[in-house]
Amino acid sequence: MEPQRAKSVTRSVQWREKAFPYALLAPALLLLAALTVYPFFYILHTSVHRLTPAGETFVGAQNFLRLLGDPFFYRAAVQTLVFTASALTLEFALGLALALLLDSQIRGRALWRALLLLPMILPPVVAGVTWRLIYNPGFGPLNGALRLLGLDTRRLTWLADPIVALASVVLVDVWEWTPFVFLILLAGLQAIPEEPYEAARIDGSSPWQTFRHVTLPLLLPALLVALLLRTMDLVRLFDSVFILTQGGPGFATETLSLYIYKTAFRFYDFGYAAAASLALLVVTGALSRLYIRFLTREERA
Amino acid sequence: MRRRAATFGKYALLAVFLLFFLFPLYWLVLTSVKTQAEQFASPPVWWPRSFTTDYYAGLFQSTTGWLAFNSLLVAAGSTLVALAAGTLAAYALSRFRLPWRLNQRLGHWILSTRMFPPIVSIVPLFLIMRGLDLVDTRAALVAAYSVFNLPFVVWMMKGFFDELPRELEEAALVDGDSRFGAFRRIILPLVRPGLAATAIFCMIVAWNEFLFALILTQTEGALTLPVGIANQVTQYEIRWGAMSAAGVVAMTPMFVFALAVQRHLVRGLSFGAVKG
Repeated sequence: MEPQRAKSVTRSVQWREKAFPYALLAPALLLLAALTVYPFFYILHTSVHRLTPAGETFVGAQNFLRLLGDPFFYRAAVQTLVFTASALTLEFALGLALALLLDSQIRGRALWRALLLLPMILPPVVAGVTWRLIYNPGFGPLNGALRLLGLDTRRLTWLADPIVALASVVLVDVWEWTPFVFLILLAGLQAIPEEPYEAARIDGSSPWQTFRHVTLPLLLPALLVALLLRTMDLVRLFDSVFILTQGGPGFATETLSLYIYKTAFRFYDFGYAAAASLALLVVTGALSRLYIRFLTREERA
Repeated sequence: MRRRAATFGKYALLAVFLLFFLFPLYWLVLTSVKTQAEQFASPPVWWPRSFTTDYYAGLFQSTTGWLAFNSLLVAAGSTLVALAAGTLAAYALSRFRLPWRLNQRLGHWILSTRMFPPIVSIVPLFLIMRGLDLVDTRAALVAAYSVFNLPFVVWMMKGFFDELPRELEEAALVDGDSRFGAFRRIILPLVRPGLAATAIFCMIVAWNEFLFALILTQTEGALTLPVGIANQVTQYEIRWGAMSAAGVVAMTPMFVFALAVQRHLVRGLSFGAVKG
């Protein structure tokens, strides 16, 4: 082979070598760009317009100003916060208790663990339907059981009273997602080595001291992962509320996601819905940054 | 004595937990095989006198079969697309050192798209699909779910690739394989279990998804099972038996799938952050 040609062959081989990883990345990046980057700019565009069948008109910051003075938006935001805080508290208390229970010496651990997966693996719509059956004031088993205990349940409606309905929706989320918290925490507990426990035993620490000074600090990474993922899911809660109450009675259980859904697809006010979604995006964006930073710290360690 | 009391307390607590988490599902299954009279009985019938399979038989005569078929098609199609594109990207991020810290930056950006709230993406997605005349098609859902699952595939598969030693490909390259040949012949077969687990996770997510399907589909040519079930709840008169039967049909395959990936479950649920 002439030296000249050999050189150009090497160069083309080098070029192909360099381009190879980008060719591998291209399909994924194109798909993501088409269905997340483009929609993101589209939503920015929509948020400063009013969409009517005739076309769209530029309205400037009007949608955002309206958002600032909209009591229903605030109400949905506050309720989303209440849902998130109360569901997180219960899910972590119960999930940690379950994880500690199944991490201790107990028979049939694998079976219980498998059965406890069920609520989180079934379609959220089916979870909603199941609890509509449970909560039914007439023939539901919840009121049925209370009547067996001698209580008068005639005025006890789980989804029709504003305050009770809020608690009922939280309970369904706790039912669905405590198993998630439990699984992550159980994995975290089982990853803790035996040595620190032995050291604590030699030091003569009480069970509570051992939990407080050994278990909890070593469980912290798993706790944080579960916390961030659950928070992210809760601030966008939609499916189960849609099935259980559709945000009612009145607006008692309306979440931000439901509010945006109704604005866009019941009232066809797309510009205003876009503005409200951007507000939600700011919150979840901050959370996802936290989560990713946390993941990176793991990577570096 | 005190020890025995503690053991007893432990099992009692476990029983309470199991009752809370499993009784609702028992009730769903029970409602799907109860006769109508016993469904509406007060006090509730905790264990029926007679069972009926009418509601399951009825599913075959209704549109539910079609909806399940749509769900299956959409879940399988989107899983294939996400798996193909995501695995290639994961391999690139795992094995090649790109300039400008692109490995990290792209990895984080891809993950951050998954954190996008669905309700935020659905408004523009609906307008775009309407513009393309794709509303109420299965193709629209396949596209939406592929992208939804893509970041998950990238992160899961990157984890599996990272666990394989680099010497494997180097040996193949020395033997005269091309880069892609080394990937296809040596690496891909080794990550097959991870690939299967990731695929099953994608199937579960796509099969269970509700919001996108609610907005992007309208008729039985594209409606999925969750939307079909939801439509029954929001009707004036709810047919509890048929709805429960459909619910059982929708959840059973997912449980089988979840058992199949139990070993990878924690890793999948936490996007690879916690290794189970």
